[in-house]
Amino acid sequence: MDEQRRKFEALVLPHLDAAYNLARWLSRSTTEAEDIVQEATLRALKSFGALRGADAKPWLLAIVRNCYRSAVVRQSKFAAVPINEEIETRVNGRIHACLISNDADPESIAAMNADRRKLDKMLASMPEDFREVLILRELEEMSYREIADITDVPMGTVMSRLARARKLLKQRWLETEGSRP
Amino acid sequence: MNCARLLTTQAYIDNELEAAAALAAKKHTETCGECAALCEQALVLRRALREETTYYRAPEAFRRSLRESTGNAESALSTHVVGPPRPTRQRSRFLFGTVWGAIAAFAASLMIFVLSNSAPDEMARDIVSAHIRSLTGSHLVDVASGDDHTVKPWFYTHLDMSPPVRDFENAGFRLVGGRVDYVDGRHAAVTVYRLGDHVVNVFAWRDVEPMKSGTRERDGYNLLSWRQHGLFFCAISDANGDELVRLSELIEQSDHVEE
Repeated sequence: MDEQRRKFEALVLPHLDAAYNLARWLSRSTTEAEDIVQEATLRALKSFGALRGADAKPWLLAIVRNCYRSAVVRQSKFAAVPINEEIETRVNGRIHACLISNDADPESIAAMNADRRKLDKMLASMPEDFREVLILRELEEMSYREIADITDVPMGTVMSRLARARKLLKQRWLETEGSRP
Repeated sequence: MNCARLLTTQAYIDNELEAAAALAAKKHTETCGECAALCEQALVLRRALREETTYYRAPEAFRRSLRESTGNAESALSTHVVGPPRPTRQRSRFLFGTVWGAIAAFAASLMIFVLSNSAPDEMARDIVSAHIRSLTGSHLVDVASGDDHTVKPWFYTHLDMSPPVRDFENAGFRLVGGRVDYVDGRHAAVTVYRLGDHVVNVFAWRDVEPMKSGTRERDGYNLLSWRQHGLFFCAISDANGDELVRLSELIEQSDHVEE
């Protein structure tokens, strides 16, 4: 149906990577991320009429987050998905991209990629509430208001959560690394 | 030992402060070691998160299959489904092409609704409890707004449905907002109105018939239940029963205007 396709391209496609990235980081699983994004897309297309001109990205991310929450309740899943192999694959993908880029020095590339693995693991092991606000703030550059709407908590909670999340991340970083140059 | 301005400094780092406040925050970091350290560390973490974590882009194959499947929104529910296009005015959601799709389509064609978990009387009791709960404490609404353009999308971010939401202040029913409630093992979308001093909670469920349609009185509250276009409603209030009938008519009329 042509209209659905147009809605998809206007509403979902521009933010598909952001939606997938959030779903991926929350669920820590590739297959689940796809299911979550698929369901979120469905909901978004159905309820597009209710949006009426507001910004689609935070609205879509709110739907993604709630689909993730529903999935968790449905599955009562607590076991963490092993992520090392996946990260390895992604990292290999990015190493390739790095070699294409201007970084000539293989040693600094290796060092940077070692960092990426470490920080991926660190972020993945953060408590979900903290992981969520860090991704929305630092990777998606959402405002406090938008983060409050997406995560359905008051703005004050967003601010204190961010502060505690940054503090914890810094602590873990120092534990694994000593001081950072 | 925490500086009282720590969160304000953080807001400055996150570009949340307007010009004068931002300037003041920046100045503060010149004399406060704790806030200065917070700035520096936050910027280091920001750089690390942006440059050194994996940003997972949607895989190409998934992107393609998502695109194709949105030609028919219902078929996206199952990756192996191919279904006929949905007529635009049809309100119910059917899954074609799967076993569950066949059962759902058959059941829907007979207008059979799944019966609720409890007996109808227990349901009325649960709704009264939920109504009373909402009146005490601070949880009458999760989204406080008299604007249906705000409340309606809010429901969609929490449930996969939204009841018809309209402000009927001209008719006496002022829209206060909405919330998600949990009654009889199911989530319900609740639209909240004020009629003068009375609070009216309108519960709505999709694809269930938790009680018989009609009026009831229980513990001093009046309840009115009715079915409408695949949704089941129950309005409860200490206001008169005929006021609830009036509200149900307003809701029913507004539903025809939708789409």
